[in-house]
Amino acid sequence: MTATVQKKICMLGGFSVGKTSLVKRYVQSIFSETYLTTVGVKIDKKTVTMGDRTVHLILWDLAGEDDMASLRMSYLRGSAGYMLVADGTRRATLDMALSLHQRVEAECGPLPYTLLVNKHDLSEQWTVSNGDLEELRRGGWSVRPSSARTGEGVEDAFTDLAARVAP
Amino acid sequence: MDRLQALTLAGRAVAFLYVDDALVLIDAGGQLEAYGLAALRLGAPAVEQAVFLEGFLPLIETPYLLPSVEIARGRAADLHFWRDEGGVWVVLLEVTSERDAARRMQQKAYDMTLLQEREAMLNRRLEAANAALLAAQRELEASRDALLRAHTALEAQSAELARWNKTLEERVAAQVSEIERINRLKRFLAPSLAELIVSTGDESILQSHRRDIAALFCDVRGFTAFAENAEPEEVVELLRDYHAALVPLIQSFEGTLDRFVGDGMMVIFNDPLPCLNPAERAVRLAVAMRDAVAALAVLWRKRGHQIGFGIGIAQGFATMGQIGFEGRFDYSAIGTVVNTAARLSDVASDRQILVTSRVATAVGDFVELTEIGMLAIKGLSRPLAVSNVVALKSELLPQ
Repeated sequence: MTATVQKKICMLGGFSVGKTSLVKRYVQSIFSETYLTTVGVKIDKKTVTMGDRTVHLILWDLAGEDDMASLRMSYLRGSAGYMLVADGTRRATLDMALSLHQRVEAECGPLPYTLLVNKHDLSEQWTVSNGDLEELRRGGWSVRPSSARTGEGVEDAFTDLAARVAP
Repeated sequence: MDRLQALTLAGRAVAFLYVDDALVLIDAGGQLEAYGLAALRLGAPAVEQAVFLEGFLPLIETPYLLPSVEIARGRAADLHFWRDEGGVWVVLLEVTSERDAARRMQQKAYDMTLLQEREAMLNRRLEAANAALLAAQRELEASRDALLRAHTALEAQSAELARWNKTLEERVAAQVSEIERINRLKRFLAPSLAELIVSTGDESILQSHRRDIAALFCDVRGFTAFAENAEPEEVVELLRDYHAALVPLIQSFEGTLDRFVGDGMMVIFNDPLPCLNPAERAVRLAVAMRDAVAALAVLWRKRGHQIGFGIGIAQGFATMGQIGFEGRFDYSAIGTVVNTAARLSDVASDRQILVTSRVATAVGDFVELTEIGMLAIKGLSRPLAVSNVVALKSELLPQ
């Protein structure tokens, strides 16, 4: 009989960075070009098998952070880890992800996380440089480029985070 | 329950869960199917069946609100948590229409923000492109300026080169002209004197003028007979040796070689360059010439040729200057003194240096003379007193 665990993971980041698209790519393996902003939170579930265990990942896709809507920390309660998402074509969203990280750590303490710098399929438009990512890695960050459109880096990022929240 | 019923009547899906302290679902109701919760099993763990409860139970603070949570099927609900003695109540109150209204507003705001960000990014790129264009334009202008400067410098260099070429051509022409003049003058002047005339650029001395000169004529005695009997090659050889011996002497005494005529030569002193004692120079040259020819005569006699050498010297005024026409000029002397010297040479025997009385007087102090007497000279109305130069008085020679 396999052991089953259930872990809550929150998707955090600025608006329009691709959090919902990443979850949709990961859970349903689809991508939509239509941008539909998230209000509040949307919950999805993905079940993965890790060795002899079954892990239910409860994915909380939180509304994007912006000047008008700041993060509701109440949504993060009970989270086992989180995925920070930035848009590589918008340098400011990386700064916002870094800021969110600090606030979450202050509120929830240290939790496993991964920073996804999304939209790598538009790498020619990126304003985030490889040097920026290297500097973050040197600072101990788990950083991955990703693309919800092509699926690049998505599965690996969630699998890696799942392994860390359910060791 | 009346409140829930009223909300249901208002078109909102309302449902509730009741979870005990062991996190077991002990009650549920309302429109559970609207949230995908129709299959809930009472008595079973609550969190496994309602995954949105993950992390919230046991409840830490009460009441607790999670606004606008989309659990399933696009429906959004506010989740209200509170506890009582028996456990935790979770009420799902649908807010889909409010969520959609908020989404529409937020969508517009985000679209506008994204548009502004995109516009700002495009503006930045445009500015960067403009800056690059300006830089390229400045670079182009700098290149054009540099090119213009290089072109101007090149033109200046070309002009300078043209000037140099012109100067060079003028110098070459001048040098060619000098060489031609030198060659022309060398025909009747000592080379050093010819070059001196050219270097000073003064050719006025070549113009016709009268001058007191010493004229020396010399020729070989017995040359005509020798030329008749000898092979032409021998004649040419003799003349070559003869000229090779005498011409350097003429130049060393700074005489002006007026002309060659076969074995005869005419040498002038005091013209075109003046000298202090032309008669003395003429006599000293004559003695040197006689000695030189005497040495040659020894060789010629060994070959069976009887060759002698005679000289005549006179002093007096003559008309000097260039004689001839364009392309064929000679510098020469015309006057009685020339004829006299020529006639004396004609009558001189082998080794004789016949001089007029004026020449004899001029050189008497350092030359041993013998008076020949009065000779009638062809072309002269009166006989001339003629002397022969025997030798130099070496002990009286000026140092």
